Amino acid sequence: MNNNSSALLSVEHVSKRFAGLQAVGGDDGLTFAVDKGAFIGLIGPNGAGKSTTFNLLSGVLATDTGRVCFDGRDITAAQSHKCAACGIGRTFQTPRVFESLSVIDNVLVGADSAGERLLGALGRSWRVRESETIEQARLALERVGLGSYSDDPVTDLSGGELRMLEVARQLVREPKLLLLDEPTAGVHPGLQERLAELLLNLHRSGMTLLVVEHNLRFLLALADRVLVMSQGQLLAEGAPSEIRSNPAVISAYLGDDHAV
Amino acid sequence: MNWPQLIITVITIGSILGVVTLALNLQYARGGMINFGIVAYFAAGAYAYAIATQPAPQGLDQYSFGFDWPWWAGFVAAGFAALVFAVVTGWPTLRLRGEYLALTTFAFAEVFHSFLINERRIGNGTVGLSNLERPVSDWGPIEEKYVFAAAAALLLLVTLIAFRRLLNSPYGRALDAIRDDEIAAAAVAKPVADMRRQVFLISAVPVGFAGALYAMFTTLAQPSLFTAEVTFVVWIALVLGGERPIYGVVLGTLGLVFFEEVVRAWPFETVRSAQIAASVEHVVTGLLFIAVLRLRPFDRISEQLKARA
Amino acid sequence: MLFLQFLVTGIVTGCFLILATIGFSLTRRVEGFLNIAHAELLGVGAFATWWFNASRGWHIIAAAAIAVVITALVGLGIARAIYDPIRVRGPAVLLITSVGVAFVIGGVIDALIGTGIRTLDIGLATSYEPFGIRITNYQLLVVALAALVSVSLALFLNRTRTGLAIRAMAVNPELAASRGIDVRSTSRATWLLSSGLAGLAGVMLAVIATLTTDLPFAQILVILAVAILAGLGSLYTVIASGLIIGVAMDVSVYWIPAGYRPLVAFAVVIIVLLFRPEGLAGTRAA
Repeated sequence: MNNNSSALLSVEHVSKRFAGLQAVGGDDGLTFAVDKGAFIGLIGPNGAGKSTTFNLLSGVLATDTGRVCFDGRDITAAQSHKCAACGIGRTFQTPRVFESLSVIDNVLVGADSAGERLLGALGRSWRVRESETIEQARLALERVGLGSYSDDPVTDLSGGELRMLEVARQLVREPKLLLLDEPTAGVHPGLQERLAELLLNLHRSGMTLLVVEHNLRFLLALADRVLVMSQGQLLAEGAPSEIRSNPAVISAYLGDDHAV
Repeated sequence: MNWPQLIITVITIGSILGVVTLALNLQYARGGMINFGIVAYFAAGAYAYAIATQPAPQGLDQYSFGFDWPWWAGFVAAGFAALVFAVVTGWPTLRLRGEYLALTTFAFAEVFHSFLINERRIGNGTVGLSNLERPVSDWGPIEEKYVFAAAAALLLLVTLIAFRRLLNSPYGRALDAIRDDEIAAAAVAKPVADMRRQVFLISAVPVGFAGALYAMFTTLAQPSLFTAEVTFVVWIALVLGGERPIYGVVLGTLGLVFFEEVVRAWPFETVRSAQIAASVEHVVTGLLFIAVLRLRPFDRISEQLKARA
Repeated sequence: MLFLQFLVTGIVTGCFLILATIGFSLTRRVEGFLNIAHAELLGVGAFATWWFNASRGWHIIAAAAIAVVITALVGLGIARAIYDPIRVRGPAVLLITSVGVAFVIGGVIDALIGTGIRTLDIGLATSYEPFGIRITNYQLLVVALAALVSVSLALFLNRTRTGLAIRAMAVNPELAASRGIDVRSTSRATWLLSSGLAGLAGVMLAVIATLTTDLPFAQILVILAVAILAGLGSLYTVIASGLIIGVAMDVSVYWIPAGYRPLVAFAVVIIVLLFRPEGLAGTRAA
């Protein structure tokens, strides 16, 4: 049981089944904690339950059993938008963007403008802060390397750029915890370097990061702690150097083509 | 044919239905909700106006309620009634998506229609309520029909401005986001279900007002005026005008109403030919609908303009 | 006793609804959209029967047979001319277009037939009263036809090459095409079948109901109720949901005025949707 007071997120005995098949949990459920300000990598073979775990944490899926606490609140039953409002930001394994909006508008949706409330929208006061919000959105695009695309339709972006756009959309929200689901997949090497730098900056500025990634070279160089999942359960946990040499991890995961 | 009269009628009816089309546009093009029962909110407004303003029942009247309120109170009651009806129908249906939503809203409208016919205590059944109150009977030198045309145009304009303001704000942006991808919108803290409900409710209110104006104009509230055909006509107008540019919607409605009024005002020699003309109106409306959906002429024109710019 | 009488009438109504809905559900299942014009195809069947039988003096069976064939061809023609070219735009546009098609067919029928009640040139119904419950030979015919159609459709879909092809198309059109199923001829078979069934339901409508030109479109409401209740696109649950709605509508007359029958149908649907948002079948295609 993690009653550590510095834990920002604590997951206790959580499980989820799909049509009778255990996706996350095992015998005792999934239990782990994420400390405030930590940079944690979440790795494991395909089908280990990493994305399902993200969906459970962000309220996209409801847990079958167990408890999820975030920032001192029980968010086990919270809906997705409530989790986001609490300060959990996330990206998706396959990028999800708003196709009818321009690149900058996609980011602006991430900012919680006063003009998004019904009465607020009819008034004028939101306009005062809008230029400031737009400035933040441009800055966020700049940080993920999409600064020059801001007025383009999102349909012009490549798959890797869409991932970066999802990150920018979360950056303007300044989430307390950012869940990134395979941020480097399909992202070209130049942009990957930029992403690594960005993540380190976010980490230094105090944001808590939980990153699912298949590119271990990328992840193990950045994260300060790594969780290894296999078949819905936590297989190992430790510093990157320990994980690299853990025999159980090597047989379960590093046996496949993602060699370090 | 009496052209000035025809044009006044087109402006009046076209503006009233234009309000309904605008509401539908908000729900469909921005909210992603297919409402196939929009006529019910229109009817709710008209009946609410009638019931609020008519005198208490007497003699042969079968209706049970008549409050004899002034016209403006009836107008407010109409907007409120449409809102209440939207609350009642939105509660079970808004969890549904796409075609299920289309079908249940359609069903609700038909149920409401059959309720108006069968429950005579509401509005005299099929006979309906007649001789409804008009705001003022003496407008001095100005003929009443011009006043109605102006009032209808004003309602349309106010609705247009209010909706435009709403949709050009971050609220409209959030709505687009929800329509494009609900899960992604929820991941940036947009209350998806609440916003969909809000759009459904706020778009019902002007439809109720339009219903009240329609009741004043025709001085009638009768089930036969509020059939599924009204819903389809408004949908056709929406398709004609193109979904996105909000002005196109208004032009589409005016064009369609003009066409219908010309057919209606045409001097036919016999009853049978008038009957055939009414059927032909149906056929042509249907063909227009099919053709517009297939060819999308307006989308192409706006795309060409964009490409040139 | 009166209650039992309503129950029996309800079963007859339910059987008619099965006939009217099964083609609609087949279209939804295979072609993937809600064809609102299906109700007007009932009108084509009903008025074609009336025209051959009452105006031209054909025997009812011959008139009915030719009416079913005509309806099937009309349905196929509309599909080829109107629905196929806009298929790529998705089910919402097809649904809205089908409303336009319903307008056109309805208008044409109106123009050709005109107002007023039309009756077929067939004998008055013979009543039987087993156990004191009245049922006519025409009502029995509806029940028998519904049973026959349900059984033969099941056999057709499970035992014949074309039937199996239709089912394969419904599940996965691309896969079906890649496995050598002729998509075009299978689609043709589907349209002929579903429109023919609409024609048959139209014949029954002409036999048991007071026929006016606005009657066919009025059926779309109850067809939708049955289809939603069954779960859009499912076929076998249509039998159960047709009977449920038919019985619910007619038995309700025991307590409340008959004018509320459609209201009862949709009350049932709304209650079911609250608990099972995808209808009785539970999944998209059962």
